[in-house]
Amino acid sequence: MTVWHASEELVRTYADGRLDRARAASIEAHVIACAACRALTARASDRDRLDRIWTEVTDAIDRPRRTPFEALLVALGVREHVARLVGATPSLQVSWFAAVGLSLGFALVAAHGSTRSVLAFLVFAPLIPLIGVALAYGPRIDPTYEVGVAAPLRGFRLLLIRAGAVVVSSILLVGVGSLTIPGVGWKAAAWLVPALAVSLSALALSSWIEPTYAAGVVGFGWVTLAVGSPLYARGAPILDRIVAFRLEGQVAFAILGVVAAVVIAARASHFDVAHDS
Amino acid sequence: MRGAERSDVELLEAVRADPQALRSLYDRHAPWLVMRLSRRCSDPEVVDQVIQDTFLAVWKKPGAYQGRGEVAAWIWGIGIRRLIDHLRRRPTREVLTHQEEVTVSAEEHVLLGVEHGDLAGALESLSPELRAVVQATVLDGLTTREASKLLGIPTGTVKTRMMRAKAQLRGELA
Repeated sequence: MTVWHASEELVRTYADGRLDRARAASIEAHVIACAACRALTARASDRDRLDRIWTEVTDAIDRPRRTPFEALLVALGVREHVARLVGATPSLQVSWFAAVGLSLGFALVAAHGSTRSVLAFLVFAPLIPLIGVALAYGPRIDPTYEVGVAAPLRGFRLLLIRAGAVVVSSILLVGVGSLTIPGVGWKAAAWLVPALAVSLSALALSSWIEPTYAAGVVGFGWVTLAVGSPLYARGAPILDRIVAFRLEGQVAFAILGVVAAVVIAARASHFDVAHDS
Repeated sequence: MRGAERSDVELLEAVRADPQALRSLYDRHAPWLVMRLSRRCSDPEVVDQVIQDTFLAVWKKPGAYQGRGEVAAWIWGIGIRRLIDHLRRRPTREVLTHQEEVTVSAEEHVLLGVEHGDLAGALESLSPELRAVVQATVLDGLTTREASKLLGIPTGTVKTRMMRAKAQLRGELA
């Protein structure tokens, strides 16, 4: 066994980078195996620097891990804090997508049966992004709502980011599903414009009332209109008889969507105020 | 400090359950690691980042320590490899400006020699390029590939320089 140990002075010279190679290598080899000389290096160290690095280490350990969804968003080029905000959206959770997928599955199975059930699918489809928007934001359902109110990010921007993410993802989901419906051609996409229009309308309305209520009102309005509107041309295929799925209905919904978007932009500041109800 | 009486191996086993254990390991091993890495990389910011990465790796995978040899040697292995990763990830521009300095910095951040007089003298007599290769492979325990990344030279060059260094040392010490 060696009885060689580094002197405190030698370690200090080494720490300052002033030691020649031969002796520096000796110290380096020795320190690996000698706790006493390691303690000497600790005494010759810059405490502040070590504390600073340690803070970084503990910060990195305490940082919550990214969920797979957040990781995906970051990989797609979304900035990290935005990814976290979007990832915390209640209606972007796995449970939400599972529920949507399941009900969409049932609707699609039904839609393969008859034209009447295709109609049911078309009426049902716009409700998915609508409910998603309702559950994207607001004091009742958002676990990060309190944080959001206190955050320097404007509530309006948060709302747009989240609603946008929800609408895009649910429309993609429903869109893929609607492609599988046979024999209805472009009509399978007839829900698309109404879906955007009702989602935007609900958003616009939620500058006055709580998002869940806004979605309820708009959703009820949509179903009533779609099912209860006057029927055209008796005897024609059922999809051609419902105004919402005819060309004039589609145009009307496109206009409604634009109007809603204008209202949202005009009332942007109202989204920053917390709704008490 | 409670961790002071525990051995490195015991601390390592406790790292995941006991936050104090990592702190104790850090207090014991960060100081010399900072010094040793600083002799191989002149940018303190890179060294700080490497130290941070190293202890994060210790925290994440304490089980990677095989139970053989010194814990300090294992930590050094992580540290020097992280340093290589960092140097490799540097922007191309910086690497290019470093290119002309390679021989200088190799001499600068690579050291060699042993207390034993003859050997130390023999090693000192090696050219900086040869000494850098001996340093990286023999003393720092790197593979040829890792040494080539650290020194910024092709693996073939590492091998030929190592052969030349051995031949020269053999001649000096004979």
